[in-house]
Amino acid sequence: MALLEVIDLKTHFRTGDGVVKAVDGVNFKVESGQTLGIVGESGSGKSVTCLTIMGLNAKRNTISSGQALFKGEDLLKAKGDRLRQIRGNDIAMIFQDPMTSLNPVYTIGKQLAEAVLLHNDVSKSQARARALELLKEVGIPRAETRIDDYPHQFSGGMRQRVMIAMALLNNPDLLIADEPTTALDVTMQAQILNLIAKLQKDYGSAVIMITHDLGVVAEIADDVIVMYAAEVAEQAPVDRIFNNPQHPYTWGLMGSLPRLNADVERLVQIEGQPPSLLHPPRGCRFHPRCAYAMAVCRTDDPALAAVPGEPNHLQACHLDQATKDRVSAELLGTFAGKATA
Amino acid sequence: MTAVAAEQQSELDLHGDELLVVKDLQKHFPVTKGILFKHKIGAVKAVDGVSFAVNEGETIGVVGESGCGKSTMARCIVRLLDPTSGQITFRGSDITTLSRAAMRPYRREMMMIFQDPYASLNSRKRVGFIVGEALQVNKMGTPAEIKKRVQELLEIVGLNPEHFNRFPHEFSGGQRQRIGIARALAINPKLIVCDEPVSALDVSVQAQILNLLKDLQKEFNLTYIFIAHDLNVVRHISDRVFVMYLGQMMETGGRHDLYDTPKHPYTGSLLSAVPIPDPELGRNRERIVLEGDVPSPLNPPSGCRFHTRCPRFVEGHCDVEMPELATRSGMTAAHAVRCHYPLERWPLTDVEMRGHTGAAAVPASAE
Repeated sequence: MALLEVIDLKTHFRTGDGVVKAVDGVNFKVESGQTLGIVGESGSGKSVTCLTIMGLNAKRNTISSGQALFKGEDLLKAKGDRLRQIRGNDIAMIFQDPMTSLNPVYTIGKQLAEAVLLHNDVSKSQARARALELLKEVGIPRAETRIDDYPHQFSGGMRQRVMIAMALLNNPDLLIADEPTTALDVTMQAQILNLIAKLQKDYGSAVIMITHDLGVVAEIADDVIVMYAAEVAEQAPVDRIFNNPQHPYTWGLMGSLPRLNADVERLVQIEGQPPSLLHPPRGCRFHPRCAYAMAVCRTDDPALAAVPGEPNHLQACHLDQATKDRVSAELLGTFAGKATA
Repeated sequence: MTAVAAEQQSELDLHGDELLVVKDLQKHFPVTKGILFKHKIGAVKAVDGVSFAVNEGETIGVVGESGCGKSTMARCIVRLLDPTSGQITFRGSDITTLSRAAMRPYRREMMMIFQDPYASLNSRKRVGFIVGEALQVNKMGTPAEIKKRVQELLEIVGLNPEHFNRFPHEFSGGQRQRIGIARALAINPKLIVCDEPVSALDVSVQAQILNLLKDLQKEFNLTYIFIAHDLNVVRHISDRVFVMYLGQMMETGGRHDLYDTPKHPYTGSLLSAVPIPDPELGRNRERIVLEGDVPSPLNPPSGCRFHTRCPRFVEGHCDVEMPELATRSGMTAAHAVRCHYPLERWPLTDVEMRGHTGAAAVPASAE
């Protein structure tokens, strides 16, 4: 049984202007020790997917349906008390902005110990010892003195380390990281990614990494989901996504990345803007921006289906297989330093 | 453009071929103590002795971690901040200490594009006003002419000219950045300083903006100083690149020199920290991971500023003597590095980088 299995997850928000379908039918599985990368632009529903799993959406105005089976238990049906037991203990989350996700009026040590005390029957000094241990593990220098510092005394990267320490206090089975490195410099990003990978190895946790950076996904993910306008556009193991992408949106994302090892005069750009989720386009949601759109794309929403011969590689596009393989090979051919087969 | 404006324009045209020359630029922010009797207890040396020249039509990329002084440098160049010392020469005239009034004709020649497209547009003004304000201030046409020019500009940056009557909140992030670009273009500047213009945007929109900036450069012969912390983006757009650390330039060179054969350990570490969007390449390389944070510019390390984090640190040399920014043997003329022990080749693995000792290798410093 998979650690987490999400089945036909839908999250809709009722707003004054109508219903926003922020997540519209997402399926995936995460196994223990594996890393799932979710990529997509702002507003594609990647964060809302994870907030829904954690039960962190405001109850008002939100309509969720589907299932999120964590060790067989449906989190969407779980009551508040049960969710509180799970959150921070079995499933932990790291947020994007380390500046705002720590409480500025408590010391780091106090905030860390609180998380231990909530879930374990231990004394305050034991909780503090555990907090100190984790601070050392995530590489905070002089942890013994810094444990009594306030969040403002830490730099951005250090705060993110504290957040990671807090997430790992109770050895969670699943760690959800929502753009954990977006606000950081490349050097700090490299440190944090190494840290997450190391801790994952030590603790055997599963990780869901939400990001818009394909580079980060390539570095740490085992499986990748590409989301577009609340739907899954493509879903595959990481090597398949990068070596044989099948969806025009994935092509666009890959082409629009400037690379260190390739000279391109012009980047491939995806024209236009992501659509409003209040009134998503009919048919395939990507068709207004797609260079390969056909008549059928305007009327029929393509189903997420496996690539022939590759049961783990799912994609939602009407294009025929020969065209996809050809464009995909051409695209990879433009990235110098990498010969296409 | 009115006759007066045209006259001032031609006056500026007379000077030399280097558009901008910056000599030993320093910007120190004083740190004070006390309320009534303030006294200075130190200074944050945000920019500490940066010199370079920018030719017309080229793009200079500036990279470095947060707090390395890249934005402060940009603001000094366009005189949004007054430099502590040093000299800024724009088109042959020294603009370092010009008064606000005397600065005005030069302001027309240099514009800035900011990082945050949400915060850099006045939310209570219409797009037409925002883009046309510079034209109005400089009295470059009647209201009708300005309106026509604004619509033209909106079209150039890929927006619907009909949108001049809308407010900024009606646009998405990428579109707002386009408005920012239209505003910068309004008065035909020579130099545009772009301070992290694509950092807040999604990759697909980022590609649109980068392509737009490149197209505009070709069309209007613009010169860019392009600040970013994303090394991929800087490589894509720049002709020459500066790597900054704690207010100093650590390495400078042509795009290919710097990215293909980096000489400074800091440049090497930055390059090796960039995630590669290719799982095979990513798995097979060895990363050089820098430990720790950038030290405080209030009290920068002695000697080479990078020595506290440098994998090739040699005690007794690097922490005592500050290396000069110089071209060493085997480097192309435009390529210079501030390091006593520059990298011999690239790529180097973490072990090779650390395995280096000053005793074993002949010091490659320029003395």
